[in-house]
Amino acid sequence: MAKLVLSTEGAVVDQCFMDDALVTIGRGAYNRIVVDDPAIGVRHASISAVGHDYILEDLGSGAGIPVNGALTKRRILQHGDVIELGSYHLKYVDSKASSEIDLERTMIISGLKLNVDVAPATDSGEVTQDLHVPSSRATKTHFPNGRIKWLQGPHGGEYKVLDRVIATFGAPDTGLAVVTRRPHGFYVTYVEGAEHPRVNGESIGKEPRHLQHLDIVEVGEERVEFQLF
Amino acid sequence: MAVDFLEIAALTDVGNVRQYNEDSIAVDTVHGIVALADGMGGHRAGEVASRMATDALVTGLTAAAARFGADPRQHAPLLALGQSINRANRAIHEAGRLDVRYRGMGTTMAAAVFHDNRIAMAHVGDSRIYRVRDERISLLTRDDSLLRDQVELGVISAAEASQSHNRSLVTRALGIEARVTAHITDEPAVPGDVYLLCSDGLNDLVEDADIELIIASLSGNLSLAASHLVQTAKDNGGYDNVSVILAKVREPFPASGRGWIARIRAWFARLFGAGR
Repeated sequence: MAKLVLSTEGAVVDQCFMDDALVTIGRGAYNRIVVDDPAIGVRHASISAVGHDYILEDLGSGAGIPVNGALTKRRILQHGDVIELGSYHLKYVDSKASSEIDLERTMIISGLKLNVDVAPATDSGEVTQDLHVPSSRATKTHFPNGRIKWLQGPHGGEYKVLDRVIATFGAPDTGLAVVTRRPHGFYVTYVEGAEHPRVNGESIGKEPRHLQHLDIVEVGEERVEFQLF
Repeated sequence: MAVDFLEIAALTDVGNVRQYNEDSIAVDTVHGIVALADGMGGHRAGEVASRMATDALVTGLTAAAARFGADPRQHAPLLALGQSINRANRAIHEAGRLDVRYRGMGTTMAAAVFHDNRIAMAHVGDSRIYRVRDERISLLTRDDSLLRDQVELGVISAAEASQSHNRSLVTRALGIEARVTAHITDEPAVPGDVYLLCSDGLNDLVEDADIELIIASLSGNLSLAASHLVQTAKDNGGYDNVSVILAKVREPFPASGRGWIARIRAWFARLFGAGR
């Protein structure tokens, strides 16, 4: 279970387990977390539970609340977040999320009450794209840096930085190859066309080939040099 | 014999972390039917639920597809999807009610039927259907998920959603209740289109832009595209099971172009210059 730990000058003064849907924070005595500091508003901030998330909201300081050093009006709390409240620190600790890997299993939950067929109006009128939930938890994977230099063909002399998951070169009819960026290196694989790619003069058939720095790859009329940098 | 207007590649993978694969995929290349499910429930019940779903969907849709030729209604595939989903839901719900090991099991699903130059689609939960047309990706389904509801209500912004822990909370699934309402729709499918059905193990870990790039670049080798999608999800963490079904439309597939009576009728129509 997630909890909040309030401390000042290195000493813990309060702890709060997140078992309520709403936790209020402020100087007023009625708040769940009372912060006795003149710099803090009577009703300073709130944390509300939605599903597995706890959402911090600024209740009117205007400028926002510093979380991990950055001012924010609203934030989905992440394990280890530190909320600055004058001379106090409020730390958010989520033991479940503290493991590197999110093993959260799919669960069924009742939806929020809304007429799902009616998209809410927005100022821009653009609804569908704005509401698109982006993929990706931020991945922690590190990818190597590579590029190819065309030695021959229509792009002769040009470079292409391999900054996407894949890059293709060649042509579908004469021979198309894909270079794949993976955590442990770059691979070249045959996609389609008459000819299989060659690495340093040797055909690679249909299997992926791990590229080494300065390998020469040929496919169709194109000839490129692979470089790590 | 497989339909020749459609090329299909399907792949499912347990991922890097999970012990079991609770996703199921099923394909009927004879009738142009694809189905995918992502199960949930303890003690491997998720595997049972997703397998029951894909089996029931493909069995039901295959039986219905044999009758599409005699059924001129354009919405026949939509009706078939609805009926197959209801049957799958009842079967999973019953199994969960009767067997304590399966109590509370459920599954998301996505399925598609290619018929008469159209794709009929259905989904429940957060399994998705995308289309790549002219190298641009479009999401054709709307997740039944808390996160999606939150964004729609403006509780959080789309940008904030990537910080959320609510990804795995679905608001609708097969087998949970005695009845389920699926999202069922159809639209024209044209040659060159590539449709992707996937479990959230793909789109949670691979950006839409990367899915688009992989499918657009590798559509000439559909099984390589499928393995690249799965591999990318695993390279990005592979926390979940990951499943993909790719279906590429090779040529137009009017219903009248199938069956010898229809073909002769079309031939006569052309001969006499009449419209069909």
